[in-house]
Amino acid sequence: MTVALETVHGAPAHRRRRIPANVRSMLMALAGTAVVWQIVGGLKLVADGAFPSLSGIATQFWRDRADYPQHVLATVQAAGIGFVIGVTIAVLAGYASVAWPLFERLIRGVGVTLFAVPLIALVPVLILALDGTKPRIVLAALAVYYPTMVATVVGLRDVDARLPDVVRACGGNDASVMRWVRLRSSLPSIMAGLRIAAPAALLGAILAEFGGGVRWGLGSYLLASLGSARPERLWGIGLVATVIAASAYGLFSLLGTRFTRTNVSATVVAQATPALLGDARRRPLQQRVLLSLTSIGIVLALWATTLRLLGTSPIVARSPLSVFRYLTTGDGAAAARHTLLAALRQTVPVALLGLAAGLIAALLFAVLLQLRRELAHAVLPLALVTQTMPLAALTPIIVLVFGRGIFASVMVCVAVTFFPSFVIIAQALTNTSPSAGDVVRSYGGQEVAILRFVGLPAAIPALLTAARLATPRALLGVMIAEYLATGRGLGFLLSQSRGLLDYGMIWSVAAVSVLVAIVLTQLVGLLERRFQSYAGA
Amino acid sequence: MNRPGMSRREMLRNMALGGAALLGAPALLEACGSSSSGGSSATTSKSGGASTAKQSLSMQSAWVNDAEFIGYFIAITNGYYDAEGIKLNFLPGGPDVVPESSLLSKKAPLALTSPDTTIKAITSEGAPFVIVGTQFQKSPIGVVSLAKKPIHEPKDLIGKTLAVPAANTLGVNAMLKLNGVDKSKVKIVPYEFDPTPLIKGDIDASIDFTDDVPFTIEQKGEKVVSFLLYDYGYPLFNDTVTVTKDALKSNRDLIVKWLRASRKGWNENYKDTTVYPPKFANTYFKGTGRTIANELFFNNAAKPLIDAPAGVFSMSEEAIQANIKALVDTGIKATRAMFDTTLLAEI
Repeated sequence: MTVALETVHGAPAHRRRRIPANVRSMLMALAGTAVVWQIVGGLKLVADGAFPSLSGIATQFWRDRADYPQHVLATVQAAGIGFVIGVTIAVLAGYASVAWPLFERLIRGVGVTLFAVPLIALVPVLILALDGTKPRIVLAALAVYYPTMVATVVGLRDVDARLPDVVRACGGNDASVMRWVRLRSSLPSIMAGLRIAAPAALLGAILAEFGGGVRWGLGSYLLASLGSARPERLWGIGLVATVIAASAYGLFSLLGTRFTRTNVSATVVAQATPALLGDARRRPLQQRVLLSLTSIGIVLALWATTLRLLGTSPIVARSPLSVFRYLTTGDGAAAARHTLLAALRQTVPVALLGLAAGLIAALLFAVLLQLRRELAHAVLPLALVTQTMPLAALTPIIVLVFGRGIFASVMVCVAVTFFPSFVIIAQALTNTSPSAGDVVRSYGGQEVAILRFVGLPAAIPALLTAARLATPRALLGVMIAEYLATGRGLGFLLSQSRGLLDYGMIWSVAAVSVLVAIVLTQLVGLLERRFQSYAGA
Repeated sequence: MNRPGMSRREMLRNMALGGAALLGAPALLEACGSSSSGGSSATTSKSGGASTAKQSLSMQSAWVNDAEFIGYFIAITNGYYDAEGIKLNFLPGGPDVVPESSLLSKKAPLALTSPDTTIKAITSEGAPFVIVGTQFQKSPIGVVSLAKKPIHEPKDLIGKTLAVPAANTLGVNAMLKLNGVDKSKVKIVPYEFDPTPLIKGDIDASIDFTDDVPFTIEQKGEKVVSFLLYDYGYPLFNDTVTVTKDALKSNRDLIVKWLRASRKGWNENYKDTTVYPPKFANTYFKGTGRTIANELFFNNAAKPLIDAPAGVFSMSEEAIQANIKALVDTGIKATRAMFDTTLLAEI
C-alpha cells in the first residue's frame, strides 16, 4: 500500500492536468444535453408532452423534495446491505476459485446463471418466497455477485509473473504467494468490479421495490406515482436513481485510484468469459461434461435447499423437481408447455432483433467517434453515466415515448445494450496498433481508410464480445417491455400468471428465461471463441 | 396523532436486523422508536391489564397505501385494535404482491383479496382459504375511458385496446365472455395503474378503480366515462377478507376482534369522509406520490361501494349467491362453503 500511495503522490501534476479536462468535456456534454432536452421537452415534441422538459422535472422535484429522503434512504440501505453481502460472498468465492481450481469449476454454473439471469424474472419469485425488505436485499446481492466474483478472479490471476517467482525463490509456497502477491495485486481489479457492482445493486433493489410490498424505496415511490400521471415525477425519480448509481460508480473509481496504483478499465472485468464448458486445464471430455453437469446440479441444489431452509409453502415456492413435473407429467402439462413455447417464440426473436439493433447502433456510433475523435472525450463519460441509469425507472418512459408494439421492445433492448457495447467496440477501435495505421497512411490512406483496413477488422472480436455481454441484457429488456407494455411473450406470461395464481407457470417462466439466456449467451460465446481462434487472437 | 405507520416501524426493525449500522444510523427518520411506547400506553389506559396479552396479527393489504385502506389506518391510529388486544402488522401490497400468496407463504393469516382469484386458488390449487367478510360490497373495478372516445359497455371494446392489470385477468376474461365479446377481438395490454397512456390516447380503455382514477384524469382536463364489471354480469365483492383455515381454527376469536375493530375504523371514517385523509398526510399517505385531494375524492367515491346497511364487511345471502353464480358461469366452481358469515354474526 505504501508503494501505491507514493506512486499517487509522485504524479500529482499528471493527475491535476488529466481529470479537469475530463470533467470539463463531461460538463460541456451535460450542458449540451440539457439544452437539447429543455427544448425538446419544453416544446412537447415527443410523445405529446410525456417527455417532459428539464425545468418541469426540476419544478416537480422541488415540490416533492420532502418525499425523497426516506425513499432514497430505504433504497440505498437495502442496496447497500445487499451489496455488502453479495460482495463478501463474491470475493470469498473468487479467492476460493483461484486457490482451488476444482471449486471454480464446480461453482461456475452459479456464475453463468447469475450472469445470464433476467432479474425481472426473479422479482415475483423472490416476493413469493421472502417477506419485507428481504427480496430487494437478495436481488441486490444477486446482481452484485457476478461482476465482483469475476473481478476478483481476474485480479488474483493476472499478476506480474515475476512476483510469485520472487516469493518462491525466498522459500514461499502457494499460500505465501496468495498472501504477499495475489491479494495485493487483486485490489485494483476488485475495485473495478465494485464500480460495476454498485449500480447493479441499486438496480436490483429498485426492481424488487417496484414489485411492491414495501412502504419506502424509490421503486415503491415510482410505483405509487404511476397513478398520478406526472411524467415529470417519473423522470425525477429516474434521475435521482441515476445520480445515486453514478455517485456509487464514481466513489469506487476514486477509491480505486486512491488506494491502488492503477485504475483498471471496467470493461476488462466485464469481458471475462463465463463459459460453461470451456476449461483452463485440459481435461478429458467426459470429465468436462461431468464437471459441467455437476455445476448445473449445484445451481439446482442451491435453488431447492434455499426454499427448504426458508420453509415456504410448496404451493407457492416450487422446487426444480416440481417445475419439471409441472411441465412434463402434471395435469395440464401439455397446455402449459404450449403456452410457454408460444411465449418463447414471441420473445426470443424480438430479443435477437433488439440485440442486433443495439449492436449496430453501438458500432455506428463508435465509428463516428473514431472519425471525430474530439467528440469521444465529451461523450464517453456521459456513456458511463447512462450505463448506471436504472432500467426500472427508464422503461415506463420508453413506453410513453415509443408505444406498445415490437418497436417499444426493440427500443428498450437498444437502451440497455447500446452503451456497454459501444464502450467495448470504441475501445477496440482506439486500441489498434499505431504502426498498422502508419502502414495505411504511408500508402496514402486517410482516416477512413485506416478505419476500414485496421479499425473495423479489429472491432469484429470486440463486437462479438459485446454481443455476448449484451445478450442477457437484451432478453431482460424485452421481458421488461413485455411485462410493462406490449402484453406479449415471456414477460407478459409472467405478469399474467401472477394474477391467475399459476405458481407453476411463474416458476417455469423464471427457470426457462434463465435457461434461454444461458443458452443464447453460451452460443454467442462459442461463436466468439471460434472467431478468436480463427483470427489467431 | 403523529404516529408513524406500522409498516415503517416494521421496515426499520428489519433494517436494523439486516445491519443498518453499515450505512449509518437512519437519523433522518424522525423519532420512530419513541412512538411505539406511546401507542401501547394508550392501550393500557383503555383495556387495563389486557395489554400484556396483546396478540400480534399480520394483515396483507391489496395495494400500496391509499384511501382504499383508510378504515384500517383509523383503527390503528385511534387504538381500536389495541382496545381489542391486537397488535396489527399492516403489510402494504403492490403489483407483484398477490395477497393470496402471502396467506400461503404464511406471511399473514389474513389478507384483502379479489374473490375470483381467491376461489380459483381454492378450487385449482387446493388453497386452504375461507372468506369471512368483504370490504367492498360492489367491486369498484371497472372499464375506464375518456368521454371523447367513450366505452359505455363491453361491446364497445371490440377492436379497441384495453389495458388490464395482472390481478384482474380473470375478471376481464369473464366480463368479456358473459357479454358475448370475443376476447381475440380486444387488444389486451398490461396495465400498471398509470393513466397517462389513456390520457394520451395510447390505449382506449383501462381496467382500474372507478372510484379513484377519474380524479387524476379529470385533473388533466379530460372527462371520464366508466362502467363497473359488477354491472355487466360480474357482480363480485372486492377486497374480501380472506383467512387461512389454520387461522380460523386456532385464532377465530382474534379474527372476530379484528373485524370488530376494523368495522369501527370504517364507521368512524364514514361519519365524515373529509376528516381523516388530511390527518394521514404525514404518516400513511406521506411520500406515496398521491395528493390528499386525490385521497379525499377516493374516500368519498368509495363510500357507497363499501358502506352497507348490515354493517361494513357484511355479506348478504343474495350477494354471496350472486358471487357464486358469476364465478360458476366463468368456470370457477365456487361453493357456499367457501364463505363463512358466522364470524360477522359474533361482532
